Amino acid sequence: MLMMSRREGETILIGDDIEIVIAHIGRSRVKVGIRAPRETLVIAREVKLVRDANLAAAKAGANLGLPELLKKIRPSSSSFSGLDRREV
Amino acid sequence: MAVAETNNFGSISYDPGSVIEFPRGLPGFEERRLFVALQFQDTAPVVFLQSLEIPGLCFITMPVLAVDPQYRLEMSGEDLGQLELPSNPQPIIGKQILCLTVLSIGEGGPTANLLAPVVVNLVNLKAVQAVAPDSGYSHQHVMVPEEALVCS
Repeated sequence: MLMMSRREGETILIGDDIEIVIAHIGRSRVKVGIRAPRETLVIAREVKLVRDANLAAAKAGANLGLPELLKKIRPSSSSFSGLDRREV
Repeated sequence: MAVAETNNFGSISYDPGSVIEFPRGLPGFEERRLFVALQFQDTAPVVFLQSLEIPGLCFITMPVLAVDPQYRLEMSGEDLGQLELPSNPQPIIGKQILCLTVLSIGEGGPTANLLAPVVVNLVNLKAVQAVAPDSGYSHQHVMVPEEALVCS
């Protein structure tokens, strides 16, 4: 991994299209400005992890085989955590 | 009562006052704002988060405390703002908010996303998937068999 030291206000270029500005350096956080082409996804790593996890979760939720399962299931009769009961 | 079509549950009727709104959607589903929470006796404590906009979009979730009774929620001020809650103190699970973990079925069995729980304000039903990068929790927490029982 290439390591570079930069001061507040200084910039790093990646290729011709991507510019990274060290906008502000706080005590435990750094504010970074990113200029990139619209089609380039710019996202925090943990948000990418959550995004991928959500896509996998949606796939799991789409293949429940629930119609079979639900034939055996009665709608819950108790209300749920302050939310109204929904009936299927 | 309103009616929505779903792939998993067929046609469901729901109270429009019980619709959960994600003002910013969820990561990967930024345009999906409206969901209902469905729970069934035989699959409890699983909560199905069913999209009202896409019949085939349904997240399998569970109250986070059912997966980790010690779970510590740490929401950013921005996420709390999405729920129209003050940024201090942190809300209490089960009191002001409902906190659900989204489940996936991986090759090694079910996993729970503890890195980013879905948090619902129980008063106004606004919701956000609250990513907690500093929490140390995994987005693929492997569930122990007892936790996994209901969704295996």
